[in-house]
Amino acid sequence: MTEIKFERKHLFRRLGIFLMILGPGIITGSVDNDAGGITTYSVAGAEYGYGLIWTLIPSFIVLIVIQEMNARMGIVTGKGLADLIRENAGIKITFFIFIGLLLSGIGNTTTEFAGVAGSMEVFGVTKYISVPIVAVMVWFLVVKGTYKIAERIFLIFSLSLLTYVISAIMGKPDWKEIGTAVIRPGVEVNTRSMTMIIALVGTTIAPWMQFYMQSTVIEKGLKMKHFRYTMADIIVGCIVTVVVAFFIIVACGSTLHPNGIVINEAKDAALALRPLAGHLASQVFAFGLFIASIFSATILPLATAYFVCEAFGFEAGIDKKWDEAKEFFILYTGIIVISVIIILIPNAPLIPISIWSQVINGILLPVVLISMMILINNKKIMGAYTNKPFSNVIGWGAVSILVILSLTLLILPLINR
Amino acid sequence: MTSLTTFYLSGITGKEVFDADGDAIGRIKDLLVSAVPSGQADPNQQLVTGVKLKVGKKTGFYSFKTFRISKAREELNVTCTGLVELPGEEVDNGLLLVENILDKQIVDLNGRKLVRVNDVRLATLASGTFAIAVDIGIEGLLRRIGITGPIKRLLSFFKIKIPTRFILWDDVQAIDFSNLNIKLSKSYARLHTLHPSDLADIIEELGNKSSTSVFSALDEEKAADVLEELETDAQIHIVESLPVNKVADVFEKMPADEVADIIDELEDDKAELLLKEMEAESSQEVRELLEYDDDLVGSIMTTDYLSFTSTKTVEEVLNELRAKKPEAAELYNMFVTENDDRLIGTFNLRDLVVSEPEKTIGQIMKSEPVSLLDDQKTSAIAEVVSKYNLLAVPVIDQNEQLQGMVVVDDVVEDLISERRTRKRRK
Repeated sequence: MTEIKFERKHLFRRLGIFLMILGPGIITGSVDNDAGGITTYSVAGAEYGYGLIWTLIPSFIVLIVIQEMNARMGIVTGKGLADLIRENAGIKITFFIFIGLLLSGIGNTTTEFAGVAGSMEVFGVTKYISVPIVAVMVWFLVVKGTYKIAERIFLIFSLSLLTYVISAIMGKPDWKEIGTAVIRPGVEVNTRSMTMIIALVGTTIAPWMQFYMQSTVIEKGLKMKHFRYTMADIIVGCIVTVVVAFFIIVACGSTLHPNGIVINEAKDAALALRPLAGHLASQVFAFGLFIASIFSATILPLATAYFVCEAFGFEAGIDKKWDEAKEFFILYTGIIVISVIIILIPNAPLIPISIWSQVINGILLPVVLISMMILINNKKIMGAYTNKPFSNVIGWGAVSILVILSLTLLILPLINR
Repeated sequence: MTSLTTFYLSGITGKEVFDADGDAIGRIKDLLVSAVPSGQADPNQQLVTGVKLKVGKKTGFYSFKTFRISKAREELNVTCTGLVELPGEEVDNGLLLVENILDKQIVDLNGRKLVRVNDVRLATLASGTFAIAVDIGIEGLLRRIGITGPIKRLLSFFKIKIPTRFILWDDVQAIDFSNLNIKLSKSYARLHTLHPSDLADIIEELGNKSSTSVFSALDEEKAADVLEELETDAQIHIVESLPVNKVADVFEKMPADEVADIIDELEDDKAELLLKEMEAESSQEVRELLEYDDDLVGSIMTTDYLSFTSTKTVEEVLNELRAKKPEAAELYNMFVTENDDRLIGTFNLRDLVVSEPEKTIGQIMKSEPVSLLDDQKTSAIAEVVSKYNLLAVPVIDQNEQLQGMVVVDDVVEDLISERRTRKRRK
């Protein structure tokens, strides 16, 4: 007798869908600009000026294509990437990928805590105070179940990454020169520049993010019919990543590079900015680094522990009790503890550690991408949603370039020795 | 004839098979066990019936009857007295250990959760070869990678044993049948022993394809109970991926308020389609509930309640209850109404049981009952429920006519979360 009145709810539902879906891509994009990323961009800017900015363009395209595939796989199968790899790629490849993921997880987490230590040192706080406090805070935040709230707070905080725009503008960059550098890319081919390019690509497209993206999509319960919202979210996330990277390179390229200042850590960049761009620029830079480091230090160990457990069939989840998910909690706590210990060792070899985790990333990325390409083209898994030719060309193209780059990275040091 | 030989699936796959003369015949790719349980105690349900064998470049299914597996000095030997092809029908009714079990998620019926299979343990007895247990422990993982030996030696220095974990074949249910043509309802038979909330937890964790096929294998009653227990996201996924008539059938078995909650989340045209497919009586109740805003009492009340006139005797009511066999929640609180549906009293099961059979309901009821208004905010429920210790509260409209009742089961989660936020604020 009564027709239901749906119209009233329409606007709210639209808005709801938008807010609900706007998430995975933006979160992943923000986590992407972690301490390791900021360091790499700063070093690239200081050493090559605007010379390597052009690498952000291919990275941007590949990033979008890869994340789109992750989102599509997550929505269609409802399964995590770790699950899919375990079920289809066999145990040996799974073992290789996840041992690599675990090692790079520890390496990356160490880099995050190095970011915490470095940024707080700019404000005059010693790492022996800042790192343990942040580590304990992160551990409790996650284990005591307020992780979702934390994620949202960090997401708002991650807007502070845009402070790099301020830092960059304070350095009074020459926009004409930047434009020319982007349009007419040029690199000298040598070990140092190749390593830099691999590091730039490797930090922008980190292997663990593929897993993270896919599980976030599943958690949000997204549907294929809302895919254009998801796509918008992914593109916004990728733009955030690339824009922040761009301004970090510009900030360092316009101030440090002309003065010939060579840096090794993001902290050096913050400190070096002080006399050239002013106190505020330096502190803004350090604050951004601090927030980015904590954000990623919260997500990385948790995500790594989770994916390893998913692949090997251990029970996982922060809502589980210790006895139910022993392996998960040991892994999660272990990653944090090991990273903190490494940082707190006086004169810890931070640079080799960050280079080695980049190398592991570099080897892992093509393996993960090849698995992804095979999975997403499998009709039995993806049904009608297998890759279109466009995605396949970009996907396999990216895989080949990454394999060549990674091989170069591995072989060059041997040749030069 | 042979004594007991136990071995692992990982040890037998890829093994070369020899004939009586010692010539190689082919390589084992997979083992087939009968998937359809023919009864709990029947050992045949775990009998290995077939072998997927690669002979030359061709792969085919052969009967296991002519195969023999023996162990000599820790080395497995497989011999075959002659290849007998397996009829296609038997292949269809079987379960492939490598393809459907290994590395896949299965249900541990005792632990009531999903586990991932690292290996399968088999045993050869005089009566045949059987799958006896699935290995879900770390040792199975290391065995598959092929590094058990070195790791065991390393750990024995520290006197650490690698933890082993097995689940008996009787206590597991395979999930992934995607490549087989067998009838699903039969193959998921063991899942019926699980409680609906456990089943719901498992379905939520499965991938899209498996969750749909497990759900559609349930009978309507069970499906209704499980659907009620699922999280909203999973509910929508199930409802959208099943045919409309199947969903409508399940909806008819569910309380109207639960159905209204699900339909509220669906797209308008899908919702309308489902309501049209449902029986008129059930869909009418749902439509009425849908008119209430989310934050009003009317939106979470159930319209499944029991009401009687005050002139009925206790005995008559008891007889009616016996005949009707209502759900447990309906007995939490029963109502007394006048002819125009006006609520005048309530009584519960205890009142009935302790009263003389010939007393009338009017004599035993509590008059001036506590009630909620259908357009009251849901936040009022908590106070009423805890103040008067009620399991179910009647809901009336402005004209004091009975509209439904709010059951404590439906609000308990809201109560808990409200309490938490209050605590935090303090």
